[in-house]
Amino acid sequence: MRNVFAAAWLIARKDLAIEFRTRSAFTASLIFALLGIVIFYFAWDSTAVASVDLAPGVLWVIFTFAGLLGLHRSFGVEQEERAIDALLAAPIERESIFIGKALANLVFVAGVQVVAIPAVGMFYNLPLGRVAPALFTVAFLAAVGLVVIGTLFSAMASNTRLAEILLPMLALPFFVPIVIPAAQATAKLLSGRPIGEALPWLKLLAAFDIVFIVACTLAFPFTIED
Amino acid sequence: MPDNSGYYHAAYIIAVAIYVLYALSIRRRAAKLRPSRPA
Amino acid sequence: MKVSRLSIVAILAGLAALVRVVFFTPFEAIQGPAQKIFYVHVSAAWCAFLAFGLVGLLSALYLWMRDEKLDRLAESAAEVGTVFTTIVLITGPLWAKPVWGTYWTWDARLTLTLFLWFIFVAYIILRGAVDDRALRSRYSAVLGILGALLVPFIHLSVYMFRTLHPKPIVAKPERPSLPNEMLVTLAVCVVAALIILGALLRARYNYANLRDAEIDSGGAHA
Repeated sequence: MRNVFAAAWLIARKDLAIEFRTRSAFTASLIFALLGIVIFYFAWDSTAVASVDLAPGVLWVIFTFAGLLGLHRSFGVEQEERAIDALLAAPIERESIFIGKALANLVFVAGVQVVAIPAVGMFYNLPLGRVAPALFTVAFLAAVGLVVIGTLFSAMASNTRLAEILLPMLALPFFVPIVIPAAQATAKLLSGRPIGEALPWLKLLAAFDIVFIVACTLAFPFTIED
Repeated sequence: MPDNSGYYHAAYIIAVAIYVLYALSIRRRAAKLRPSRPA
Repeated sequence: MKVSRLSIVAILAGLAALVRVVFFTPFEAIQGPAQKIFYVHVSAAWCAFLAFGLVGLLSALYLWMRDEKLDRLAESAAEVGTVFTTIVLITGPLWAKPVWGTYWTWDARLTLTLFLWFIFVAYIILRGAVDDRALRSRYSAVLGILGALLVPFIHLSVYMFRTLHPKPIVAKPERPSLPNEMLVTLAVCVVAALIILGALLRARYNYANLRDAEIDSGGAHA
């Protein structure tokens, strides 16, 4: 069991090192998120809708799509020169590959969130300070769900003829039960409601995370075995 | 009683059409498979 | 081409149900003729849910037993299920508009049906995008199982979304207890739809078997 996680950590570090040296996907996702924030502002009639009401939607639509942008790269990068074959030949459990990839993706998505949430707070003039810890908890729980689903489907989609077109079609239906609770909890927090009101949504997110971490980890070996 | 028979007729025509067209599409695909032999 | 006995029974059952709905079922006094959409809608919905359950079950069985027949049956159930779900999604709004006053409301059941359709379609597109047969079977089985796991989460999150939110203004009357005559019509329609489901499923499954057999024998279709 310890070996599984040690190997997973190695894979995560490999992915993060590649990402850190090229910074291509992370920069792209980040700029995409910032552009999204700007576009949403101008798609919105500020005399009719208060920014506090709009912000949860903006945040979660942006994270969903910025996440997809980065997730595709997760296994897409292994397709080049069939690097995936070397990974599969390595004397490690298949589960380690999945957990490692998911960990790297989690760092990736969390990195986007760390920049995008304060950016939304600034551009939309939101009272973030007091609710920041609770908000980042919501963001983290949601990111875990997005990442496990996205990592599994990225592995599958990268092996198909449609590749990057297929990933959103597979993943987005699964993102809905993440985005609904995350956006709802964000709305409760931003409008100054007590944290207790967001709690049912947090529980739902946690339940989703647990079920799909287990299910996707178990399912992953089926998506790559030869 | 409200007169909304337009919705009623439209729903049944569309539903029956979809059932029939789908059944025919299976037949057509099966027929294309082995033109020489009866399926 | 020969028409199988099951197909003939299905055609007759469908016609009988149609005749029963059109000529031998009274109009509902308050909702008017549009209420009759209920019969085709509900019967198709039951079949759609049944097909979705089948895909999930067959997917799990496939990963366990690795029998190609299970995969072909799952493939067939997904395609037939998509057809039923499409009918549900078209007839539903046509009934809701005159009765509820709106084509669509985001209630748990409607939303769930819409997502069943999305997952079915993604499943079919995924199958079309993988050439290797064993890989395709495993991928679609994984999607089938995850889709089945997703259903309770969609239902719960939409349900909570609705109950923790102000209700829309659209009036949604409690479902009236159906008089006997209408209940019989509904039963006839459900039975007919189930027979049609069986016939379509078998025809589609036979086609999948023939197709794979032809590929195995080195036929022209790749």
